[in-house]
Amino acid sequence: MATKANFFRKIAFGLNTNDDKPTSPIEWAKSQVDNVPDMVWDAPIPTGKDMLDNYAKWVSTDRRVLRKKYKGDRAGYEAAKEKLRSETGERYYENLELCIRHNTALKSGAPVFERLWMFWCNHFAIIEKDFLAEFSTGPYHREIIRQKMTGQFVDLAKAATTSWAMIHNLDNSESVGPNSTEGRNQKKNGQVVSVNENHARELLELHTVSPAAKYTQDDVVALSYIMAGWEHPWSKKREECNPVKFNQKKHQPGKHTVLGKTYKQKGFTSKNKLLEVLEDLSENPNTRRFIAFKLCRHFITDQPTEAMMDPILKAWEETGGHLPSVHKALIDVTYEYTDSELKFQNPEVWMLQMVNLTNANWPPQADDMKYNFLTKPSFLKRRPENIMREIGHLPYRPIQPNGFSDMEQDWISPELLIRRLAMPQELSMYIRGQVNMENIIEKNCSYPDEPLKIVSKMNTQLQRMQYFFPSYWMLKA
Amino acid sequence: MINRRDFILGSVTLTMLGSPLFSARAEQLEKRNLVVILLRGGMDGLTAVPPKDPILASRRPDILVQNTLSLNSDFDLNPKLKEFYKCWQDGKASVVHATNIPYTMRSHFEGQDLMESGGRTPFAESTGWLGRGIQAANLDGLAISLPMPLLLRSQMSVDNYYPTHLDAPSLTMMEKVKATYPPDSLLAKTMEKVISRPVSMLQSSSSREAHSLARTASRMLAKADGPRVAVFDIEGFDTHTSQGGGEGEHADKLADYDLILSRLRQGMGEAFNNTVIVTLTEFGRKLHQNGGNGTEHGYGTAVLLAGGLVKGGVVHADWPGLQKKNLFEGQDLNATTDARSIYCSAMATCFQVDFEHLRRDVFWNESLTDLTSQLFI
Repeated sequence: MATKANFFRKIAFGLNTNDDKPTSPIEWAKSQVDNVPDMVWDAPIPTGKDMLDNYAKWVSTDRRVLRKKYKGDRAGYEAAKEKLRSETGERYYENLELCIRHNTALKSGAPVFERLWMFWCNHFAIIEKDFLAEFSTGPYHREIIRQKMTGQFVDLAKAATTSWAMIHNLDNSESVGPNSTEGRNQKKNGQVVSVNENHARELLELHTVSPAAKYTQDDVVALSYIMAGWEHPWSKKREECNPVKFNQKKHQPGKHTVLGKTYKQKGFTSKNKLLEVLEDLSENPNTRRFIAFKLCRHFITDQPTEAMMDPILKAWEETGGHLPSVHKALIDVTYEYTDSELKFQNPEVWMLQMVNLTNANWPPQADDMKYNFLTKPSFLKRRPENIMREIGHLPYRPIQPNGFSDMEQDWISPELLIRRLAMPQELSMYIRGQVNMENIIEKNCSYPDEPLKIVSKMNTQLQRMQYFFPSYWMLKA
Repeated sequence: MINRRDFILGSVTLTMLGSPLFSARAEQLEKRNLVVILLRGGMDGLTAVPPKDPILASRRPDILVQNTLSLNSDFDLNPKLKEFYKCWQDGKASVVHATNIPYTMRSHFEGQDLMESGGRTPFAESTGWLGRGIQAANLDGLAISLPMPLLLRSQMSVDNYYPTHLDAPSLTMMEKVKATYPPDSLLAKTMEKVISRPVSMLQSSSSREAHSLARTASRMLAKADGPRVAVFDIEGFDTHTSQGGGEGEHADKLADYDLILSRLRQGMGEAFNNTVIVTLTEFGRKLHQNGGNGTEHGYGTAVLLAGGLVKGGVVHADWPGLQKKNLFEGQDLNATTDARSIYCSAMATCFQVDFEHLRRDVFWNESLTDLTSQLFI
């Protein structure tokens, strides 16, 4: 008899020995998506603004001071740069962000919201580029993506698209309209002037309508024209680290047609053209189909069906993309398919489930992460990053703008499997006391009989963990 | 040496797969290695192998490659490709220019999917051309990366290698875990690979730097009973900004490729003479530089070939020219050679299997040109 216990791993991080089994799993899950839970961290959390200051200090001191001061003195330069690394927390903050992310995921009281947060961070992915992972991607996830998850999709899309991290990630500051004021000046000086298509292309392909909308190269160029001017201004003191502004002087003036609709210059500024396009892209049926598909693929199965997507599409249509309503529809569908579909759990989710179920003392806490900004962070302070790198899933470092894959086959290789086999022993160092494996299996497996039988024959806690966590019962939910 | 033409294995077809006679095939064959280096992000053939054409200078005033090495009267080489140039001088490197996979839509993700699957419809195939080729020839391969690239996937399970500090549990425990996986599932097949590994591959090792990985791979490839196919992955060719010319980000990425090439040549020793090392990317980049000293997604590009099995010192190209009327959509170097012809020919040469056989079984009988005798010894 299937118990539907897999649901708690399919949509969250499982139930641990201290959790009571919810009487209505669907209501338990739905009650978690209406409000944004606070981040859980026992110390002040750096703001995006603070972190942009750190980014600015790191790049401008290196480029403008150290490279000049130590010209021709390689050793002197390296030593000064090492000091700067510590002062700005260049090796520290990504680890801190991982701790805050994982601590919050496990302790905010709304694990379903946290899983959805991880989904949206990956949807509007920021790639491993320059020093984004070190200083910017964590705050972007916390302050931009997370805060917009209880409103309409269009507002999330607007916030992500015009954020510092995304503008930098996809090079939009480099985009200059050929007929803009600045473009004409640059041409007079003999410079080559053109838009940068990177952001416009990914906005269509990855963030909203997807290739199913059959947009053309002309659409991409027209959207690049509309987006030209959205930049992080450059300054001598802070280099590229200034808040995003719309710069009319780089904007390509005039009318531009995207997916059949012409966007006109309005009033004094053309800033609103992009926001208007985002409203239309958010209402485009291809966008909701693409996102319903991706939600099902992330939570339910590698191969979503129309039947799975339908309730989510309906919720989106009825509410104009109200995310909590969309998320609730997803919860219903996920529950419905709990024991008929199994989803392979990506390394980060699997790791957090393992931590949750064993009550492991992970990640490091605020006290452990206190840092002097003088010396290289200790082994323990760098452990979060090392572990995530080891299992192949550093959440601030997707390699490409399409984020991490949701497909099982992309997460299976001999080397990736070795990591899954080895991690229980690694984690056992952070476990104090007994792990009640029988309780864990009963609460989290829809078919508990067989794993219970085998685990009961094993003598040590380590063996039980080494067996159960990389087993089929746990890799899939 | 076995003459490839004498060894046309018309009989090596899928019907022989799985037969006990056939499983011994690898042992009977001369050991030839095929290394594929993935250059993700869109490698610019005009930066790697710039044509000696004044149009290039006029369209790319700020990112023109300086201090180039001269390949012949028509083409130069990016100065960062030092080892490649040595191979060229030794008659062990060539270039196919104005080539690409048949994909023109300028999306990285569709393009990378197709460069690996070898197909025409994005995300339609779950296997890669190299994986299918290995399967058709009943050989084995090795990916030097943590995940398994689509390129190497097939119905069979292929190995990968990436050093770790973590300790794997005992073989007994791994057998028990494996028993929970459905028979014949990808998980079960992958676990089989892990269990049957030599202990040396399960022991911890330190460096994951590309050159160190290349050294490890070169040792494995040099072994008579080691893998015959290896795949490297280099990211970061998507230089919308700061592309630069001889210096700059694109040139730095080319230098990464060159370092791998150099480590492979060094580490493989004699085996390098029985090897083809070939590059693969999703598309080239537009002819015009953009406003940020970078370039946008384009179409045609170049494929770099190195190794002792390469007929060296030639830039192969049905060169379309850089005048506007000759450009693809008025913007990009055109592609006059389907790059899949190169890959199919490279597999035919290294796997010692007939080109026609691979064209049918790996590339769905698409009309590709047999370039084996032009490109390879």
